[in-house]
Amino acid sequence: MSIEERTITILVKNEPGVLSRVAGVFSGRGYNIKTLCVAETTNPEISRITLTSNADADFTEKIKKQLDKLVDVVDVLDYTGERFLKREMMLIGLRITPDRYAELLQAVNTFGCRIIGMQPDYYIIETSGRRSENDAVFKYFQTFDVEMMNRTGSIALPRHPQKYSA
Amino acid sequence: METIGADIVLQILQEEGVEAIFGYPGGNSLPLHDRLLGSPVRHYLTRHEQAAAHAADGYARATGRVGVCLSTSGPGATNLVTGIATAHMDSSPIVALTCQVNTSLMGRDAFQETDIIGITLPITKHSYLVHDVNNLATILRQSFKLARSGRPGPVLVDMPRDILAARCERAAPRQETPEATVEQSPSDRQQLEKIARALNQSERPVIIMGGGVKLSNSCDLMLGLIEKGGIPFTTTMMGVGSITSGNGYDLGFIGTHGNQLANSIVHQSDFILAVGMRFSDRSTSLIDEFAPLATIAQIDIDPTSIGKNVKVAFPFVGEIRETISALVKLVERKERTPWMERIQQERETTDNCLPYKGCGKAGHFISLVQDAMPRETIAISDVGLNQIWTMRTWKARTPRSLITSGGMGTMGFSVPAAMGAKIGAPDRSVVAICGDGGFYMNIQELATISYYNIPVKIIVLNNGHLGMVRQLQDLFYESRFSTVDLGTHVDLVTVAKGFGIPARRISVDDSPEAALAAMAGAEGPYMLEVMVDPNDYVFPIIPPGHPNISMIHGKIC
Repeated sequence: MSIEERTITILVKNEPGVLSRVAGVFSGRGYNIKTLCVAETTNPEISRITLTSNADADFTEKIKKQLDKLVDVVDVLDYTGERFLKREMMLIGLRITPDRYAELLQAVNTFGCRIIGMQPDYYIIETSGRRSENDAVFKYFQTFDVEMMNRTGSIALPRHPQKYSA
Repeated sequence: METIGADIVLQILQEEGVEAIFGYPGGNSLPLHDRLLGSPVRHYLTRHEQAAAHAADGYARATGRVGVCLSTSGPGATNLVTGIATAHMDSSPIVALTCQVNTSLMGRDAFQETDIIGITLPITKHSYLVHDVNNLATILRQSFKLARSGRPGPVLVDMPRDILAARCERAAPRQETPEATVEQSPSDRQQLEKIARALNQSERPVIIMGGGVKLSNSCDLMLGLIEKGGIPFTTTMMGVGSITSGNGYDLGFIGTHGNQLANSIVHQSDFILAVGMRFSDRSTSLIDEFAPLATIAQIDIDPTSIGKNVKVAFPFVGEIRETISALVKLVERKERTPWMERIQQERETTDNCLPYKGCGKAGHFISLVQDAMPRETIAISDVGLNQIWTMRTWKARTPRSLITSGGMGTMGFSVPAAMGAKIGAPDRSVVAICGDGGFYMNIQELATISYYNIPVKIIVLNNGHLGMVRQLQDLFYESRFSTVDLGTHVDLVTVAKGFGIPARRISVDDSPEAALAAMAGAEGPYMLEVMVDPNDYVFPIIPPGHPNISMIHGKIC
């Protein structure tokens, strides 16, 4: 079976140690978590973990069963594939000299980014989109003097809510 | 006295019907051990926390009830780890109560502080850190429920000292909520019908039973299924003893150290009905060559066990007892004369070609032990050659009469587990069968046994070596014996007597009747040391990396 990036979203009880238990299901079987996002849902007692890992479909099925067994796990959904929209966010901090202001602003507008932090010699730029888009944006901004970068893992939702609730 | 957290613990233990627990005190367990005075819950002080965990496990396996062990924080808690892992691998329901430093000290590397929840995450079904004394009763009740429900297993509850000492109200009586009964869905019924059809149509079916059959108390139903369908059966090591009557369909058990007949017949089968087992590597050996002709149907309560190791054509997640009682109605009696004749032919030419089915003099001796002991006796093996000799030789005649550390393979399991089994089932005789290596690993428990006068019988098969490792070195490492010589310089009879336990030494070549009669007749505990030749191995065996049909009967020269 082919190895591809799988996206799994897990609804869990918002309790200490839950993330360790979920991560342990992956690490105990030698799988690496590639990206990870955790936040409360509209119900503060429930958190949503969205993670990606390189694996085949058989692995996803097995991991889903293992996760379902955890007492604190409420639901596990496979969000892999084109039926789901995925987005990531990226913050890029870069040093800038006045001679390149115009060029930078043009790039920000072209890519649909936002400048969220601004000092005379240092900007922080926010961008979000598919991972490949963010990669391309970052590649361009690397023509500037990038000081640091921080990016999130994927968050995802199904395109059709009626078919994939939760 | 004001009610404190510790009283809640004892209240819930009583509510759950726990009459005995196994533990060891320390600074952070003081509030709980203090309130044990005057409680009807009996506390057995073991001489090591590992033994407390094994005793709780043995108690659970012998009785089917949840076993409980208790330790202080830090080293007390970490000493439980091997016992918890042993229970986890074999789906044995225990609740491990660990004490923890005060909540205000947690995370400060306080004296005897350890993150026992973190350490035990992969070896527990679930674990709780109690933050509020008002949650203690709910957490404990939930722990017992979790430990025994579904696929049973260990649950750990970590209780900070200040929570145990905190004033509180006695817990309100348990709300009796009827256990939810799950109606079989139409799709379940269809799947069962498919399984039955495939089974009925098969020419060469075989049933493989794992430990789940005993755990779900389904042995009688499985026997009904086997006899109604006329289906030969084998078991995993954990399933040995599921069927207590010899009925001609028994093939022995499968796997590395199993019976050649079972391995051969499974290999030739065209349909496998697997019940309460997970096709572990010990059962299948080389997985790619396992049962190449068979369509597999698998029934288990744990969805993660299904398809974990082999491709399954007919998966079925369900409670085994309910599932088998529904399935048995759908199964037809079918004469499979060529299949049964082939089995009979192999039965005559394989297993019987070796004395005592390849278990040497020690195997024969174990059969004499069984003859000397009452019919209801519970035999608990340790790990190593003694385990295979026992599992291959002891004929389970009553339920829960053969106990072993199958998955984890924990040396030192048998003696403390025997203590727990005897305390849980005081009306049955209990015999621990171990090697000298395993005996040394929890030898301190002889003090517990004599202190409480727990009348367990201990057989030490002493070959002065780590016999199974020695056998593997002999067979597969050109007889280069490395670090397996334990020596016979220790006078174990004197050691046992020093602990206050009557003991005797014989050789496996002696006629053992008198010694066995003395052991069986002893009112209290008894230790019988049996000197065994270190070249007395277990055969046949599957060499590492070979399929189940490649069993060898001796050294390859």
